[in-house]
Amino acid sequence: MVDGVVEPILEVSGLVKYYPLTQGILIKKQIGAVKAVDGVDFALDKGETLGIVGESGCGKSTVAKMLVNLERPTAGSIRYKGEDITKLSGRALKTVRRNIQMVFQDPYTSLNPRMTVGDIIGEPYEIHPDAVPKGDRRKRVRELLDVVGLNPEYINRYPHQFSGGQRQRIGIARALALRPEVIVADEPVSALDVSVQAQVINLLDRLQNDFDLSYVFIAHDLSIVRHISDRVGVMYLGRIVEIGKDEEIYGHATHPYTQALLSAVPVPDPEARARRERIILSGDVPSPTNIPSGCRFRTRCWKAEERCALEVPLLAVPAVFRLAPGPAAHDSACHFAEEKRVVPPEEQAPGVLDDLGNGGA
Amino acid sequence: MLLEVRDLRVEFRTRDGVAKAVNGVSYAVDAGETLAVLGESGSGKSVTAQAVMGILDTPPGRIGAGEILFKGRDLLKLKEEERRKVRGAEMAMIFQDALSALNPVLSVGDQLGEMFVVHRGMSKKDARARAVELMDRVRIPGAAQRVRDYPHQFSGGMRQRIMIAMALALEPALVIADEPTTALDVTVQAQVMDLLAELQRDYRMGLILITHDLGVVADVADRIAVMYAGRVVESAPVHDIYKAPAHPYTRGLLDSIPRLDQKGKELYAIKGLPPNLMNIPPGCAFNPRCPMAQDVCRTDEPPLYEVDRHRGSACHFWRECLNG
Repeated sequence: MVDGVVEPILEVSGLVKYYPLTQGILIKKQIGAVKAVDGVDFALDKGETLGIVGESGCGKSTVAKMLVNLERPTAGSIRYKGEDITKLSGRALKTVRRNIQMVFQDPYTSLNPRMTVGDIIGEPYEIHPDAVPKGDRRKRVRELLDVVGLNPEYINRYPHQFSGGQRQRIGIARALALRPEVIVADEPVSALDVSVQAQVINLLDRLQNDFDLSYVFIAHDLSIVRHISDRVGVMYLGRIVEIGKDEEIYGHATHPYTQALLSAVPVPDPEARARRERIILSGDVPSPTNIPSGCRFRTRCWKAEERCALEVPLLAVPAVFRLAPGPAAHDSACHFAEEKRVVPPEEQAPGVLDDLGNGGA
Repeated sequence: MLLEVRDLRVEFRTRDGVAKAVNGVSYAVDAGETLAVLGESGSGKSVTAQAVMGILDTPPGRIGAGEILFKGRDLLKLKEEERRKVRGAEMAMIFQDALSALNPVLSVGDQLGEMFVVHRGMSKKDARARAVELMDRVRIPGAAQRVRDYPHQFSGGMRQRIMIAMALALEPALVIADEPTTALDVTVQAQVMDLLAELQRDYRMGLILITHDLGVVADVADRIAVMYAGRVVESAPVHDIYKAPAHPYTRGLLDSIPRLDQKGKELYAIKGLPPNLMNIPPGCAFNPRCPMAQDVCRTDEPPLYEVDRHRGSACHFWRECLNG
């Protein structure tokens, strides 16, 4: 899948976003910073879906906002086809923005209640008038409605006349209006009911094939992320702690946080529940204003030793796996990375089970 | 039976018409048992719970018919004063959003202690001591110091523990938890669910767990009642339902969850949308979305057929559904 020769469509390196904390009203003094994103690197290939999972406050939405340039990073670069978009402004930025679009989480607040669906989906053409000539715009909006599975006759309706799932389809149509190459979807289905979630996921899947899109798919639901992603990155407190192909993460996680996350996912099968091991983490995520020294996960980690407090683990293939190519040899930021089976073998895809031999505990 | 809801009907009068939120719900919970009530938004699962607790807003809500038998007494026939004695002391509720359910201007100690002052007539000092005990019981670190803190000073998981402590303060026989972990992160969700299950075992209380998450249900419930458009469409022990659902809606819900062994395939999606409660389809409310629907489903509302002694399904074709 990763060719190596082909340049990634999006390349993020050393991305940092700090929000200053100030004290005083007239004379503002900075007393600290919320370190929302604290050094994130990843690459997105053309036609690929990269899933980013993490709990609330881990910085995944801030990453999304920076990718579409709604927030300026404190440091680091975001290269779109080799060009650093964080340094752009004016016309050059406008051109890039056309190619990277966003689907928002809440379909209730991300659509203007006083605009018709036709105006909402057509608004991108007001900002980029050269995209579609004026006379063709209504026609294009109707086509887009059809593409996302809504009746083109609804073009003059208002958002409140639609259900949550239909509104999310409107948001997706708006994101597609300018024919972007990259779509950043921030929790696109978490506000929807279970039966409607599947409809929207299938739609996103189909659009990816039809329009050759690359997705950054941000969510906290691990099973949905696995379903849609080619590769998955796990974030904790502003950093990616583990990243790899989906079966590397879901079948061969080596970072203790990923293992704890996987073991905590409720499985809709009462018998699988008895077989699997639950890792229940103690405590809460530390505050991003006061990040622990060394490994930021150490305060909740059952494996933490002195070294974890002193030395920041790098996101790289851990030394123990470097010589043995296999699914466990992927980037993981842990000094004591090791495989641990948390999801019972019966739930694994057959192919994944084979290359681990006899499974293990 | 500890609690038995029989043929409950609730409607809301609005400007645009009458919304039939609950249309003949029946379910029962015994002491020490966990009943999961599963359904999507608008299925009537929370409205039923509010009717049981007696916290339904009337008007616009109106209980049209039915009985709520709690320890043999019909709660709907009680006066509001008598109802108040039941609420809090004998049955309690845990809400989804702890931040908005707790009073922001009272310390958590005052709010927990209030239960003992109002219902048990304790002095403030004794009540405070009990509050600390309770916070310890739900494993809030440093309870003695934190008892003076305000809700905003706690994290989401800790706040939900305080909600649980408050619900359990007077050791009620029945606890209703309405989406208790939906607002929490997965790792914290697991901590809170474990705590709730442990306390339920210790106090032998009946627990009604309202949720839309099939995964959470599988982890803790004994029985499941699946709700759709204000009715229980399937009711069964938890193992049976996951093995072979007897209603096409339950089957659709189970099939639409992404499974690790079916990656890359298109997800099964129930077509269409949940019905408008002001205009519920005639016959079986699920018929416009049902892959198995026949003519009879469009005209005759199915009763809750007895599948076996422990199981019911409101589908004319439950046999066919059960056999896949």
